[in-house]
Amino acid sequence: MTNKIELHHGDGGVKTSELIQKVFLKCYGNDREVPLSDSFVFTTKSSKLAFTTDSFVVQPLFFRGGDIGKLAVCGTLNDLVTAGAKPLYLSASFIIEEGFDIDILCRIAQSMGGICKENGVRIVTGDTKVVEKGSADGLFINTAGIGVVSGHYSPCEIEAGDEIIITGTIAEHGTAILLDRYDLSVETNMISDCYALNYLITDLKAELPYIKLMKDPTRGGVATALNEIVAHVGNNVELIENRIPITTQVKAINNILGIDPLYLACEGRMILVVKKGFGNRTLQALKQICGNHDAQMIGHFTKDCQKLVYLQTDIGGKRVLPSLEGQTVPRIC
Amino acid sequence: MMKMNKECKKTIRIMEVCGTHTQAISKSGIRYLLPNHVKLLSGPGCPVCVTNESYIDAAIGLLSHDHVILVTFGDMLKVRGTSSSLSEKKMKDNVITIYSPEDAITLARKWPQKIVVFLAVGFETTAPIMAATIKNAYENGPENLFFLTALKRMEPILRFILEDERNKIDGLICPGHVASVLGADAFQFVTKEYQVPAVVCGFEAEDLKAGIYNLLDQIEGERPVSFLNLYQRCVRNTGNRLAKECMDEVFQKEDGYWRGIGKVSNSALGLREKYQRLDVKNKFDLSEEIISNPSACQCREIILGLKAPYECKQFGVRCTPETPLGPCMISSEGSCSAHYKYGRVIF
Repeated sequence: MTNKIELHHGDGGVKTSELIQKVFLKCYGNDREVPLSDSFVFTTKSSKLAFTTDSFVVQPLFFRGGDIGKLAVCGTLNDLVTAGAKPLYLSASFIIEEGFDIDILCRIAQSMGGICKENGVRIVTGDTKVVEKGSADGLFINTAGIGVVSGHYSPCEIEAGDEIIITGTIAEHGTAILLDRYDLSVETNMISDCYALNYLITDLKAELPYIKLMKDPTRGGVATALNEIVAHVGNNVELIENRIPITTQVKAINNILGIDPLYLACEGRMILVVKKGFGNRTLQALKQICGNHDAQMIGHFTKDCQKLVYLQTDIGGKRVLPSLEGQTVPRIC
Repeated sequence: MMKMNKECKKTIRIMEVCGTHTQAISKSGIRYLLPNHVKLLSGPGCPVCVTNESYIDAAIGLLSHDHVILVTFGDMLKVRGTSSSLSEKKMKDNVITIYSPEDAITLARKWPQKIVVFLAVGFETTAPIMAATIKNAYENGPENLFFLTALKRMEPILRFILEDERNKIDGLICPGHVASVLGADAFQFVTKEYQVPAVVCGFEAEDLKAGIYNLLDQIEGERPVSFLNLYQRCVRNTGNRLAKECMDEVFQKEDGYWRGIGKVSNSALGLREKYQRLDVKNKFDLSEEIISNPSACQCREIILGLKAPYECKQFGVRCTPETPLGPCMISSEGSCSAHYKYGRVIF
């Protein structure tokens, strides 16, 4: 085992987890266990707030369906949504390489402003650093966010039978990045699913009491996100392959590339764990109220406790979906 | 599948020899549907996995020249030579992953001042497109594009497996992709000369089910031993004439060295005399120091179908996709890698 940082340490899979445990948590000296969720929730005298941060190093900076600015805002908004929070304020910090085109920076900042306006949030603080040519690859952005946690959402213990919903088709962001980065000459109109998910807090209010957990399947995709969940919960997850929504275009492109779309990032989808028996109701609400026609109930938690995610395949076979080991695609977000 | 589940005590061993089949079998979860006595084994069908250490060493050696750029398919990056891999040795722009051999030509034109070396690895599936690229580069340039080849042939390695006195293969799923180039007839010898039931089948779960069903029928004596092409939608009996002609024009048979196995006569495709000037070994006067079977694991036995991945003591212990000891764990299409990812847990 090498003692140097490798690309795998940033893929959101097993290695990232190891790094967090062995370096950050150990050195920060957190004396009590802080749950490793995408947002930290804390209570003040008057309200419950969520706080999060995320950095964005996507390459290319502009991709089909978005750009690094849109991603930087949506990514942080979505992390707040996973905590049941309505986002309020964001910070935005830029690390820019000397020589970077100011017009391009303008386009990215405008994109960020536009998404914030659409979602009723404001960027209220930030920072700008410029490094010498060659010290960074164009532009990196960090955003942090704060939001108020909805009183309707109170995540609770997951049990056997609880149902798993995905709010839309999978793997579109990862596939879009692959197409643009490698300039694959594939004729397709598919775009990244990059999108802010605030509507889940506002439009799905009536269903929030039955939602036990929300997680956005970004790096490492649906398979890795579910593995992170089972690692904490203990119970296995059974997914039904033919219920997992995926467009034929995404399926075909990944087939060509030999990549399993279950491990590719979404940037505008959420995994919802819903109380047993309430999955269909939530699914209907997602389809009718939120217009997520592709949302599907893709599986459930079983009573077995081996911390495994497995797939019931189209032909009735079974296979394990382990956590991501080995980089699928670096710098995807 | 009902038929497959009938009682039978004799262990039946069916081998596939195509990396895509290895992955498709694991991804379809088909093992879960088979009774315990039917074992699906993966042969040496992943070209990356069987690439000899000396080839990787030679590629890494090329990186010591400042003006050399290596272009390769992604899977090659992790493969270790005697001491390191391309992913460990690469700098930012000196190893580039491509998805089509044509990209090698585009990149060489983009950097005329550099020497661009394409790592040409594969079986007869990829060999024709490599041949077309080499032919194109020979006739039209660019002058700065060279090739380091390690192309393999399927027939000699199949004969090597079938002639091994310890061979226990009861049925063979022939490589559908190679068959689409060479033709189904190229695999008739499996049944005719070795009396082993064989099918050519496709890569969808239903193709695999049909292939295994057919083989089991033959193995259990319910139909005579025969050779069947169940992938007729893609595979003609005589194959792809143009692809074969292109391959024959550019390549000639030569002895090949397989990681974990060693030398297999006539199992490689080398450049013919006419195209030698595009061989990077001539450009830099490189020689490969052939290494035979230094693996600490039991990949040789696994590749030859004598053992299943989980029967190797290193499997999942010291040997994982992150720290592969042997060829079968290196590529995502390797048998150990596929078993590790998709089949570690027996339901």
